[in-house]
Amino acid sequence: MCPEKKQQAAKEADDKSSELTTTQYLIETIKQLQADNENLKLELKKTKGIPSGKIGIAFIIPGALALIFSILNNSTILSFIGLGLVLWGALFFFIKPVRYVQSSLLDSTAISTYTTIDRIVKDLKFKGKSYYIPPYPKEVYLPEYLKGLKETVVFISADTGGMPSIEELAKSKFLLENPNGICVAPPGLGLLTRFEKEARRDITKLQLDELCESLEPIIVENLQLAKEMEMKVMDKQVYVRIFDSIYKSLYTAEENLKSIHSLGCPLVSAIACTLAKATGKMITIQRDSVSPDGQTIEVWFQFVEG
Amino acid sequence: MNFPMSMSDISLWLAVMAIILLITSELISSATEYSRNIVIEKNRLRLVALALGIGFMATVVMRIFQPF
Repeated sequence: MCPEKKQQAAKEADDKSSELTTTQYLIETIKQLQADNENLKLELKKTKGIPSGKIGIAFIIPGALALIFSILNNSTILSFIGLGLVLWGALFFFIKPVRYVQSSLLDSTAISTYTTIDRIVKDLKFKGKSYYIPPYPKEVYLPEYLKGLKETVVFISADTGGMPSIEELAKSKFLLENPNGICVAPPGLGLLTRFEKEARRDITKLQLDELCESLEPIIVENLQLAKEMEMKVMDKQVYVRIFDSIYKSLYTAEENLKSIHSLGCPLVSAIACTLAKATGKMITIQRDSVSPDGQTIEVWFQFVEG
Repeated sequence: MNFPMSMSDISLWLAVMAIILLITSELISSATEYSRNIVIEKNRLRLVALALGIGFMATVVMRIFQPF
């Protein structure tokens, strides 16, 4: 190879590496700016927000005074004003939110669970997938020694082959020997209960299409866990796209969580639990992808026969 | 020193308040895109609106059996 060509190739490689570095730098800058933006929004909310309790008091006191004066002066107009003010004051007390927390706190509380699972998996040198095992329906009678089958669990296998037997699952054990693996409670188990409450129907009696249709409004509108969501049923697969999930920062956390990709964030995990419970089939997260800005999460669930 | 409002005044007041609250609660619960940032107990608001509506209906029933 002539020296000119060598120089050109070296220059091209340099250009490519500098381009990659610039792209990475830009992505990191965008992420930081987005985080700054969120923090500034929160600060603005804090400074702007007046607690509804104070507004309630500000309405009730003049309302009560107006009512007293209306009785003293026998004035209908004053009593109308007083009643109105008292009602609105009471309403401000009655409809004020019980207690809302910042969504970033949810990530902070969830990180420890994933870190623990990461440590367990790393320590036991497990390389297999995670399988969401459906529970037995509530109305089915099971003897005491099989009660463990009514719990939704995730089986993290040591390698890729084999599923635990019913006897093993019924014992509600953590460490399973045949096949090797561990059984843990899914991170989205609590959310699954909320989904069931919001659906107001037995999800085990729903068809897969109906379930997908009813899950979207529950997640986006009722519980407001994400801004947008799309669910598609394919052959032996379910595709889910979540935009602006409240758990999105778990995927881009500094801790570089590995179990988040096999178990999914609490929202993805809850969807997997719901799918497993509704279909009665085992579910695994085949793959997931996060957009560079961290806003969109795509997950492909796969049904496992066995 | 009597309360200056008659039964018909209270009935009118209940009707106006019920209409305002029912419209508000319907708008808030149906337009989810805009009501996302309104952090209030929307179910409780609806409950109050319905209670006022029922209160107004009660005064109407009273008017039928015992005109005031």
